[in-house]
Amino acid sequence: MHVPDGFLSPQLSVPAYAVAAPLWAWAVRRHFGRGAAESLPVMGSLTALAFVIQTLMIPVPGGTSTHLVGVVVLALLFGPLVAFVCEALVLLVQALFFGAGGITVLGVNALAMGLVGPLAGWLVWRLARPFSEKAALFLAGWVATQAAALLLAGALALQHRLDPAYFPVPIAVNLTAMMVPSLTVAGVVEGLYTVFVLSLLRKANPRGVAA
Amino acid sequence: MEAIGARQRTRRFDSTGPGGELIRAVRPAAAAALSAAVLLAAPALAHETLHELDRARAIAVRAFESDGEPLGDAAWEVYSPADPRAPWQRGRTDRNGWLSFVPDAPGRWRVRVIEPAGHGLDLFVEAGAAAPESAAGAPPSGAAFVLRPLAGLAAIGLLFAVIFLVQRRRRPSP
Repeated sequence: MHVPDGFLSPQLSVPAYAVAAPLWAWAVRRHFGRGAAESLPVMGSLTALAFVIQTLMIPVPGGTSTHLVGVVVLALLFGPLVAFVCEALVLLVQALFFGAGGITVLGVNALAMGLVGPLAGWLVWRLARPFSEKAALFLAGWVATQAAALLLAGALALQHRLDPAYFPVPIAVNLTAMMVPSLTVAGVVEGLYTVFVLSLLRKANPRGVAA
Repeated sequence: MEAIGARQRTRRFDSTGPGGELIRAVRPAAAAALSAAVLLAAPALAHETLHELDRARAIAVRAFESDGEPLGDAAWEVYSPADPRAPWQRGRTDRNGWLSFVPDAPGRWRVRVIEPAGHGLDLFVEAGAAAPESAAGAPPSGAAFVLRPLAGLAAIGLLFAVIFLVQRRRRPSP
């Protein structure tokens, strides 16, 4: 899902960093301080798991593929800002170790997959959990995927309007290619992953995780 | 009958026989016409497509996902170092994710593979005598396929372990 280096111009990547950097600083101070020691093992494990599942591609009918993000569980357990920091770390490791994604576009990718997606999932979960906890978890995963995909598709579409040399794919083609796999496959699998991981964690009831 | 016919035909074109004077008169004209036909046909050879085989000229790049899945049938663009604004060549990757081009100048050639869904590549490839035979980024296979995610996992685990140890030390004792 994430955009690689060279697909977005500084017109978009610089403002994205300007928005993301203060939020990272605030999130680290707020959630990774002295009181976080008990939660850190679970946070670290879920971040590592998110890193692994983001490298596994899910084939989509039509010849393309997609992948999970896996950080909405962090948002539901510890808050959207924790998911934002952890997803940024995953993206940084992917960029440095694999050349996947990239440093210049890290701000945009982190805002979409680490903040807007998990925040949307967290809000839906808060609204829907009085009715059914499992349905709320599934919806959180599904909505988080759609929000992230929509923001990235929007960023690429805006780039196409600003300067097609960076991203020559027309808006309609890009939107279809991103949203169809997201709506039909990635969102559903992300929803199931969220239900599975949260149910498992609540049964195991490790230290640092709210019951 | 066939033999008689052949003899008659031979006789007809024999310059020593009857009509020989006519043949002798016509022969220079026929030779001139034949020469003209050959000379006029020479430019027509330009329509023939010839080929040259060189197994060491093209640069081949393979695009694949992080799990080794090739980026097949994806659009690509190549930019020459002489003109970084306009694509020098465009095409689509084959089913195994390969693209290839034949650089006509040494230097850093930019290769972009663009999937409509926003995935893709944007890299520079060195062309020329000083270019390495094989660049980094070979498809993950065997041990490398497992080791790369493990290296990433180790980096994430190490970072969280360090933060955990620091925060536990700083935490005020109850």
